[in-house]
Amino acid sequence: MTPRKLFAVALVVALAAPLRTLWGSDAGRIQFENRQENSGISFVLDNGTLPDKPMIDGIPGGVALLDYDNDGYLDIFFTNGATLPGLAKEGDKFSNRLYHNNHDGTFTDVTDRAGLRGEGYSVGAAAADYDNDGRTDLYITGFDRNFLYHNNGDGTFADVTVKAGVTGVSSAGKKLWGISAAWLDYDNDGKLDLFVANYLDWSFATSRVCGSPGKRLSCSPTFYKGEPNILYHNNGNGTFTDVSEITGISRNIGKGMGVAIADYNDDGWMDIFVANDNDRNFLFKNRGGKAFDEVGVESFVAYTDSGLPVSSMGVDFRDWNNDGKPSLIVTALGGEVYPLFRNEGNGFFSYESYKAGIGFRSLKMSGWGAGIQDFDNDGYKDLFTANSHVSENADLDGQQHYRQANAVFRNMHDGTFQDVSGDAGPGMQIRAAHRGCAFGDLNNDGKIDVVVSAIGSPAELLYNTSTGGNHWILIKTVGVKSNRDGIGTRIKVITASGLVQYNHVTTAGSYASSNDPRVHFGLGSDTVIREIDLRWPSGTVQVLHNVKAGQILTVTEE
Amino acid sequence: MRTAFTSLLLAVCAAWPALAEPCTGAEAQLAQVAKALTVNALDIAENMLRTLIASYPDCPEIVLHQARLAQAKGNIGEATELYYRYTDKDPDDSRGLAYFGRFFLEQRDYMRADALSSAAADKNPDDPAALALRGQILLMKGQSPEGQNLLEKAIKLEPNDPEAQFQLGTIYDKAKAAAQAVEHFRKAATLNPLDVRAWDYLALNLELVGDLDGTEQAYQKGLQVNQAGRYHDAFLDYNYGRFLAKRNDLTRSKRHLDRAVESAPRLRAVWYERAKLDMRMQNYQQARADAEKAAACTQTGGVIDLQIYSLLSQVYARLGDTALAQKYTDLTRETPPPVRGEQR
Repeated sequence: MTPRKLFAVALVVALAAPLRTLWGSDAGRIQFENRQENSGISFVLDNGTLPDKPMIDGIPGGVALLDYDNDGYLDIFFTNGATLPGLAKEGDKFSNRLYHNNHDGTFTDVTDRAGLRGEGYSVGAAAADYDNDGRTDLYITGFDRNFLYHNNGDGTFADVTVKAGVTGVSSAGKKLWGISAAWLDYDNDGKLDLFVANYLDWSFATSRVCGSPGKRLSCSPTFYKGEPNILYHNNGNGTFTDVSEITGISRNIGKGMGVAIADYNDDGWMDIFVANDNDRNFLFKNRGGKAFDEVGVESFVAYTDSGLPVSSMGVDFRDWNNDGKPSLIVTALGGEVYPLFRNEGNGFFSYESYKAGIGFRSLKMSGWGAGIQDFDNDGYKDLFTANSHVSENADLDGQQHYRQANAVFRNMHDGTFQDVSGDAGPGMQIRAAHRGCAFGDLNNDGKIDVVVSAIGSPAELLYNTSTGGNHWILIKTVGVKSNRDGIGTRIKVITASGLVQYNHVTTAGSYASSNDPRVHFGLGSDTVIREIDLRWPSGTVQVLHNVKAGQILTVTEE
Repeated sequence: MRTAFTSLLLAVCAAWPALAEPCTGAEAQLAQVAKALTVNALDIAENMLRTLIASYPDCPEIVLHQARLAQAKGNIGEATELYYRYTDKDPDDSRGLAYFGRFFLEQRDYMRADALSSAAADKNPDDPAALALRGQILLMKGQSPEGQNLLEKAIKLEPNDPEAQFQLGTIYDKAKAAAQAVEHFRKAATLNPLDVRAWDYLALNLELVGDLDGTEQAYQKGLQVNQAGRYHDAFLDYNYGRFLAKRNDLTRSKRHLDRAVESAPRLRAVWYERAKLDMRMQNYQQARADAEKAAACTQTGGVIDLQIYSLLSQVYARLGDTALAQKYTDLTRETPPPVRGEQR
């Protein structure tokens, strides 16, 4: 072989290496398999519906993935409704449920032992270790009651709501209708604070009836006034202080559904996005841990590009295009489009639902839970939405469907997504009244699974069985100076082939749900991560080099 | 013998009016003319009428069709005179009253259209032309269920009436029942391919049911026949431009929104939509100009102030004009979003 030919071959090989990396990462298909049937999980979300279909019956259905017993496997918690109008958890069918992961694909109902049956009409769940004792605690939102359950470390939880001062009652003394909650350390003092998104000023006394007899529909939220959200500051002694007013949070009245957190402007302080139903969305920009400015309008995320609100439900706030800037997906009702807001990095977001290819597809969907996760481990985060119309009688319309299949949109690496739901396996074809969903790796195989709650049908355990053999890493953060969960830690990963990705530690996002706190990265065909940068909420920067793929890596703050 | 004579006389007398009917023998051709007019085939109708007039100079139905032809050609004075002449001759003919009523409707003389449609439907509750017009008028008066009933009855009697199909389509369109709307708009467009409105509405509803290729085809067919005249649709370019923007074909979208702005310059919606496109194309100065034009328009076309404020806040923020950006941000915040429908 002549030197010239050798050079040519070498050049081809050199060029092919990164191409092969990408090609290898493209080879897989996103697949989900519903393994609920043999899992021992029999949970059916019961909304206690009445013939008049009051607003409350469309709303429940949070899911939390948490490792409450620190055995290294995610357990599952479901919120549940109650009788209407009595708001009582009469009998087993309205009980909230905690299922322990047996590590073999089965789960055991440990609700009673844990003391988590609950009271009243529960809606959302948010899990995190608020007292830095190394055990994951649980906050439950609801229509009439919110609860903070402290994890005792022996498989039981204690109701510490009143003592902690997180009852969900406003400073005016009114219990607000809580939907989603988020744990975050907004002032970076090493203790997790609590944000509660509240919905409407609704009660049975003021409840309207819509549709015709026998064909009742959910009334529009525009009939009711919104409510302020609540921010609780963690005092570090088991109690919290309501700082909604002094931080500016409660100045903004919305109709909060989903909540997600991210440091969208990369200033080291976690910001909060609230999806408001038929009202302008809120983006609470953190002003140095002291207060928040609501900048939804200025940042162009309050409304769609048509300057109008949609029925915003669930939300996730992560970087889907690997540019280091967390962006947003919001779910909405049929006839609307799921807003996708790309963070430009200059304080502005651009509405890119159609540009990204989810516009026409989502027009016919109604969504609740939402996630920005890399399901095929190709290094690019995909989208998932848990779908169903809000009205049980929606099908009377002909264009709407109450029971819908969930959707997954594959990231095409060029800022666009492709709806691959139809090819994602039978688990993705189940038509049900899906509500909240939570994302995490149930079996520690490095693939992000999804647990979806559904009104009137068994919850779905969608195990990720995507093909392609791509590599991955899960990073569990343990804060020392920062909050123990490391919530708010921003992580940058550079693989051996040079792909750069970003994510951050949070359990918030989706709808009324709580995700795996471990941060997941798909690595394509890379087996080594060249560099992992962690920027802790405390300001500590930690860099790891040459980390092997295919492991659950625990990183303790230095 | 006397009985036989009487019977013969009676038979002749009974037959006499038929023999005397001035349109006898022209029925088939008149039906063809009516059909040609219904589907806007004016040349065919005109040629046939010319032949018929020579053979049947006293046939009143010819006058009716002449009136419809004149109306279709935009000869308003002539059409008025012919309609009056026909209804004077045959004041009990429900069809005549219905066509005359539709003529008034086109002239936006709603009171006369209402009165004539009512009279036509009263004269003959089984006349599809009368039922279709009355149904349409009732829809306009907000009596939707009654209007829908009449239109459905009209279509059962005469499924080939493109106007009735179109009007029924608009009912489903308003009810956001896109699949049913598609069915009727498709029939309307097929029956009268010159009806741009039908193609436009068909495209809009095909988009809603997710048939994007069908949407594109419907717009293309509409564009082919969208000329000035009776069926001109000023919104076709606007709607197509918006559709192309959603398909990320910004260059072609711009072309059609430019045309929309030219054809409906007093309408806020066209300026607004072009301003949004300008924003996407990062042509912020043009976006500012278009958005300000939109703000100045009094004919909103469905675009409310909140949308304008929101857009202007973005435009001025992109241009770095912080004062104006703040002004419109404040206005956006202060303006409540619209109240949606009662239920969902």
